[in-house]
Amino acid sequence: MSDTDHTTDGAAPTADEDRALSLELDGITKEYTEDDGSTVVAVDDVSLDVYEGEFIVLVGPSGCGKTTTLRIVAGLEQPTRGSLRIGGEDVAGREPRERDIAMVFQNYALYPHKTVRGNIAFPLKIRKYPDDEIETRVQDTADLLGIGELLDRHPADLSGGQQQRVALGRAIVRDPAVFLFDEPLSNLDAKLRIQMRTELNKLHDRVGRTSVYVTHDQVEAMTLSDRVVVMNDGTVQQVARPKTVYQQPANRFVAGFIGEPPMNFFPVTTSPEGDRLRVDADGFSLVLPPEITDTVAAWDGDTDRLELGIRPEAFEDAALVERSLAAGETFPAYVAVVEPMGPNTDLALRPDNRADDEAAEFTARVANETDAAAGETIEIAVDTTEIHLFDPETGENILA
Amino acid sequence: MAGPNFTVEQYRRRQRLWNLLESRYVVHLVLFLAVFFIVSPLIWQLLTSFKTQQGVLELTYLPTEPTLAAYERALIDRGFWRAVVNSVLIATASTVIVMILGTPAGYVFSRFRFPFDNAVFVFVLFTRLFPPIGLVTPYYRIVTTFGLLNTKTGIVIANVYLWLPLVIYIMRNFFITIPQALDEAARVDGCTKVQAFRYVVFPVVLPGFAAGTILTFLYSWREFLFAFTVSTDLNSMTIPVATFLFVGDAGIDWAAMAAAAIVAVIPSALVVVFFQRYIVVGLTGGLKG
Repeated sequence: MSDTDHTTDGAAPTADEDRALSLELDGITKEYTEDDGSTVVAVDDVSLDVYEGEFIVLVGPSGCGKTTTLRIVAGLEQPTRGSLRIGGEDVAGREPRERDIAMVFQNYALYPHKTVRGNIAFPLKIRKYPDDEIETRVQDTADLLGIGELLDRHPADLSGGQQQRVALGRAIVRDPAVFLFDEPLSNLDAKLRIQMRTELNKLHDRVGRTSVYVTHDQVEAMTLSDRVVVMNDGTVQQVARPKTVYQQPANRFVAGFIGEPPMNFFPVTTSPEGDRLRVDADGFSLVLPPEITDTVAAWDGDTDRLELGIRPEAFEDAALVERSLAAGETFPAYVAVVEPMGPNTDLALRPDNRADDEAAEFTARVANETDAAAGETIEIAVDTTEIHLFDPETGENILA
Repeated sequence: MAGPNFTVEQYRRRQRLWNLLESRYVVHLVLFLAVFFIVSPLIWQLLTSFKTQQGVLELTYLPTEPTLAAYERALIDRGFWRAVVNSVLIATASTVIVMILGTPAGYVFSRFRFPFDNAVFVFVLFTRLFPPIGLVTPYYRIVTTFGLLNTKTGIVIANVYLWLPLVIYIMRNFFITIPQALDEAARVDGCTKVQAFRYVVFPVVLPGFAAGTILTFLYSWREFLFAFTVSTDLNSMTIPVATFLFVGDAGIDWAAMAAAAIVAVIPSALVVVFFQRYIVVGLTGGLKG
């Protein structure tokens, strides 16, 4: 985590500072030496506090270090530097089996030679639980997951969704302190993935254990988590509640990564317009509301040149806006593509003066009543309270 | 559709030719010829082994007076039953040692990174690329130095040297097909690394292990060069070597030689018949299902 404190929300989601810490990562760094002798930093100084019962999702593009971080927590990799505490105990050098964790793997990693019963019972058997307790626990777990009928089958005879449940069962049967999930839904087809996502959510509500979940899918991150950890290049970009990550992204990376379709970025110059701030992009100008003007004025960096970020949802077809729009709130845009999505319509637009410039294209998500047609020029409105401004050098969000 | 240079009639004629070539009669004929080519020496040998010493010299395919006398001469009179026992003992011991050493080695090469791991693995394979004949002389010196001439131990050591690299290679390939997540899941579930191997990885690789065992047994059973170098008497002689000894005789007892050869082939044939699935798996190096 960087030393600027806007990367965190501070408190845990329930704002209950007294809650016990379940997992503490402090300056975790993982370096690999490549065959050619060069060093690759997979995880770079990651610090993170996870509270008891919290559902944390690590999200980021592939290669961002999220899986390595998870594997370090599991004990499957040793960090190069940094310390790790589970339930308050330093677990440095401890084997995975000594960490009171359970893990669900991306491809389930079910034991193919064991039945479903054998798979779920294995963590208990290896720990020498009494037979009758194993029997009860396996049965309870199977019932909880709705796989009671499948106990005597082998993994190869199960569907993807059923295998996923068995993998979950093997994790929860032992009632560990922390659950780790490594992209557990990525092998399922889209429909099943949504269904299992809902079930995971319910399961977490029922079991209520601390969970750390790795995914590259921002929808999973938003829907499952109490807090999202956005990672890139081995470093933590932001730790915050899902809404915060969306509404107040810490920097340009988070802003661009979270949200679908992604945020549009425009390089702008700024100038005063009366007591307001005016931003000029190539092809349009906006006049920003007073609160934003004040925040920008309070920013201690250079504000002459900034990066303007507008989410597709912050646009609207001006013809459909009922209130009267001021001059700095709309601009003419050339419609390149119209994509009706059902509840709304996505437009690929270009500022009118750059109608032939494909590189100038940006996305607007407008109400589906729009009459915009490809090849036309429409007046597009911007909700200027919803815009973001970033420092072009550091990428930091000036308004967050 | 016929091309521009074809009439429909030409096209149909051509198609008929292919239909004939691809018909199952033709396919079966080709397969039959191939099998006949491979099996006929064996059959000839089997028939010869039932002939009398005189009958061998007669120009008939089938033995005129079928008899087991040749087997008696080979196994009892010349005492080659001891070579059979030697072969069983040597092949079994070699197989056990090779599998005990080769399985964990293959596992390590498939899972763990250590300094010069690739170099070590290539070196292991490299030892198998030598023509074995080039090593016979130093091997003979070593065996003599340690007083292992004419001992079964001497031959077992040669077999281990010959087949261990192969088994390491085969087992590594089998282990590579098993996802590493399986070991990791086992370790998270509560296993030590050794337990993860024992309870999860090894049971999954069992078909591969069986394939390695069978191949090693077959190869050790039929190994000739080193056994021939080390053994000159029936204390250590294996059945292939004993069979070869007929060649030096003044008047070759063809029937007894054929009988000995058949005895040498029987275990291989049995293994192939009963374990062919594993042999195919072992030679192609992949596990399925």
